[in-house]
Amino acid sequence: MTSVSRSWRGRTKYLVGAACLALCTIMLLPLLASVLASVKSPEEAAAVPPTYVPHGLSFDSYRRLWEFQAGLPTYLTNSLVVALLTIAFALALTVPAGYALARFPIRGKELYFIFLLLALIIPYQALLTPIFLMFSDLGLTNSLVGLAIIHTAIQLPFSLYIMRYSFEAVPRELEEAAVVDGCNSWQTLIRIFLPSLLPTVVTVAIFAFITSWNEFLGALVMMNDDSSYTLPVVLALARTQTSLGGTDWGMLQAGVTISIIPCIGIYLLLQRYYVSGLLSGAVK
Amino acid sequence: MYASKRRQWVGLAYLAPAVLFVLVFTAYPFVRMVWLSLHNWSLLAEPKYVGLDNFTRAFDDDQFWTSLQFTLKYTILITPILIVGGYLVALLTAPNTLPRKLTRTIVFLPVVIGLGASSLLWYWLFSPRSGPINAALTDLGLIDKPVLWLGVDTDLSNWAVIISVVWKVLGFGMLLFVAAIQSIPAEITESAMVDGASYWQRVRRLILPLTMPTVLFVTLVSVIGSLLAFDQFFIMTAGQPHNETATSVFYVYLNSFPFLRLGYGAALSLILAVIILVFTIVQIALARRSTR
Amino acid sequence: MGRTQRTRRLAIAVAAITCLVVAGCGGDDDGNNSNAQAQSGEMQMWERTGGNAPMVDALVAAWNAENPNRPIKLTYVQHDQMVPNLSRAIASGDVPDLMGLDLIYGPQFASLGHLEDITDLIGDDPNLATASPGHIEVATWKDRLYGVPLYADVSVLFWNKDLFREAGLDPEVPPRNLTDIHDMAKKITALGDGKYGYYLPGNCAGCNIFTFAPLIWASDKNAKIEPTGPGDEPLVGTSIKPVLEWARMMHKEGLIDPAAQAETGETFAEVFGSGKVGIMGTGNFNVALLQDQNPDLDLGVTVLPGLQTGQASSFAGGDIVTVPKGSDRVKDAVDFMKWLLTDKVQLEVYAKQLNMTTRTDLLDNKYFNANEDVRDTAKAIPLGRTPYTVKFFELINSPNGPWLQMLQRVYYTDDPIDEIIADAKEQMKAIVAQE
Repeated sequence: MTSVSRSWRGRTKYLVGAACLALCTIMLLPLLASVLASVKSPEEAAAVPPTYVPHGLSFDSYRRLWEFQAGLPTYLTNSLVVALLTIAFALALTVPAGYALARFPIRGKELYFIFLLLALIIPYQALLTPIFLMFSDLGLTNSLVGLAIIHTAIQLPFSLYIMRYSFEAVPRELEEAAVVDGCNSWQTLIRIFLPSLLPTVVTVAIFAFITSWNEFLGALVMMNDDSSYTLPVVLALARTQTSLGGTDWGMLQAGVTISIIPCIGIYLLLQRYYVSGLLSGAVK
Repeated sequence: MYASKRRQWVGLAYLAPAVLFVLVFTAYPFVRMVWLSLHNWSLLAEPKYVGLDNFTRAFDDDQFWTSLQFTLKYTILITPILIVGGYLVALLTAPNTLPRKLTRTIVFLPVVIGLGASSLLWYWLFSPRSGPINAALTDLGLIDKPVLWLGVDTDLSNWAVIISVVWKVLGFGMLLFVAAIQSIPAEITESAMVDGASYWQRVRRLILPLTMPTVLFVTLVSVIGSLLAFDQFFIMTAGQPHNETATSVFYVYLNSFPFLRLGYGAALSLILAVIILVFTIVQIALARRSTR
Repeated sequence: MGRTQRTRRLAIAVAAITCLVVAGCGGDDDGNNSNAQAQSGEMQMWERTGGNAPMVDALVAAWNAENPNRPIKLTYVQHDQMVPNLSRAIASGDVPDLMGLDLIYGPQFASLGHLEDITDLIGDDPNLATASPGHIEVATWKDRLYGVPLYADVSVLFWNKDLFREAGLDPEVPPRNLTDIHDMAKKITALGDGKYGYYLPGNCAGCNIFTFAPLIWASDKNAKIEPTGPGDEPLVGTSIKPVLEWARMMHKEGLIDPAAQAETGETFAEVFGSGKVGIMGTGNFNVALLQDQNPDLDLGVTVLPGLQTGQASSFAGGDIVTVPKGSDRVKDAVDFMKWLLTDKVQLEVYAKQLNMTTRTDLLDNKYFNANEDVRDTAKAIPLGRTPYTVKFFELINSPNGPWLQMLQRVYYTDDPIDEIIADAKEQMKAIVAQE
């Protein structure tokens, strides 16, 4: 290797390093800014022009958010319950369906598949009012279960897509071995497929959680009672409660920070599964 | 082995919950929506049958075309940035060294937060007087008057939203591209290196063609998502100025909710769904042709 | 097949149990009025966001303290979602018992039959006679009453005495007409350093109808901006054109902060507190805010003037409280309304918190008299006017409506004013003609 190419190699390394650093900075800076804004004192948070780094730590914004209207705990609980229900529903529907589409000789199976994916191209905003009216007949308005159903419907096509391809990726020998052992389809599903599919299950769960946790319009339409509001609705509400005091930027960023924390936490903890789940299902 | 007939029934049974669910909670509202599109309804009076009026009305509706045009413009601007940008970042972070894996994790971080939270965050960042972006630009001497990013100038608003969405979504494409790049067998790239190909030659002649299916897939998903964009505009610009940044779905929302013209909103949804379907078919056909 | 059936039944059972558990813990009263008796039990109340939330919270808290057997459960609803929310509620038969709305929507909701007629139930309540006339007018439809004032906002003109001093103006002499505003603003803008003499928000329709329209009304008592209904002519009066020309001049001469163009109303209330604006139209809520957040700012409050000295006007705003159609607690709701107008509530809940009383005969009270700025603000109440139309949102408050579009063209373009007015008239007439 000549010295020219060696120094070129070295230079490239620095360039790559610099590029990575720049990228990481760009990605992290807004998040950092939001967190910093949320711990400013109320006067500092409302300052024009804004300060970059808080001059003193204050959790006043969080306190205001905590006490906002029915109280943050109520809204957080609602969001959490809806998200967990969405996960449950999504898995309960897509695991069997993915199994069926991948492994069973169903006539017209591709048609079923396309039917189940249809929701992808329909803007669900227009479906909300018919769904609302249907739900009010069923008593599902203002209910966390009702909202979870809507979130599941939104999430279903994507979840089903990766679930199906993950099922197909499981080697046939495993399944055949189970058959030889005398397992029926259900036992095969539980004992053989699910363990291999854990990454995909986790991925579906994570995506379902994130979609549901952050979903806004459906919650706005379905919930008419303060005690059923979810976090995104409350944040939007907080933005327009402006008559006295103007936009409470500190409280808003506190809300953004709280919205973000579970998503990032789950991602970092379950990254292994999430990433491989996405990849095995989607790279096709 | 299994009796095929029995297998079919078992399979259908597993499939049934999902199919039932979609039938009740997606297909049925969809059918009602189609029925609605043939009527005028403001929720409280009786729906009035108007045939295909709502559809012809769309063609004469300036706002429909404004929204469509804006949505297309947004899609055309943001998609190349996401694909090319995502691919470049993927090339950068594909090798499995620790710093690059760390970069990958960090770039993917904004993907997992919600679009609503992200939009609120950037709404603050872009705030003319209270936001740090204008403050930083002023302190750096790059501007002397606050830039009115959102809601005043259509193109500027578009770019502000594009910046926020690219920040949020870049990691998604990157991840899929990294997977595709990593799945290229090492022997192929090594033999190319032995043959004397430079890095960028390898990328152009080898890596890119071999990862083309993923590129097309990500493009497709990205285009559909952009055509259906709503949340980010609802939160960041509220369609301003003059509803010029109201995307097609935003206009559907306006008709279905504040304006209470449910029939018209339903018709617009259908038109949009057809447009997206056409786009999707065209893209898939192009994809098939190019990978032959 | 047996297995999957069992699984499905299990799933349904789980879902059902979850429903029960969640229904128990989550929203307990889902608005279904079946458990509401004539006299006791919780009442549901909706109130719009973006209004005087602390005032409404205080009123509800005071009522609940006195009426523990029929408390009010308050839910804030996004103000731009009020109409669809209520429509959906009526369509599904699940309405709240009380609804606070921005008073300018009174005619619209009443005309659509969304509200209960309370004329007979409220009867000859003596306190009704002196209730804010603007509120009562918009709560009336075809001679029937549908609501009473919930709280009152008025628009006034602030001036920053510190900036006046700095600019060499007499701090105790407020602008008395539009020419004064122009001349004084010019001196203040000349101070530089980010200081501007005047402020007009560029992207907030509501702020402008609140603080700019009174300039038009003051200059011509017969001027009218809104068309009442189909066939009615909008934008009539001798003052429309001159006041618009004045506004354009204020912008062209650079007397207004260019950042105002992006003002959507979200930061409108804090602009004056920044200390960089000399003169500005704003509302009574800003008085309390300033005294709270910027107590060092030397504030002057006066009425919004017209082209000539001696002309003055104000926007009588705020909320009315109504009863949505289909509620079965109408009598209790009307009791709440009567309670709002009693002396005790007016003085001890409204005036004590330095909010405007909704009865005009109580403006002279010890709380107001102890606070110079609030006392001066209260002077605007008798001058208050409220537009009356069934399409207020589409015409005036909508960010895409003709009112804001007209103003934006006046403020920021060079289009001829006559043409702008003509276009706005066309658009307004088209809107009220639609059904």
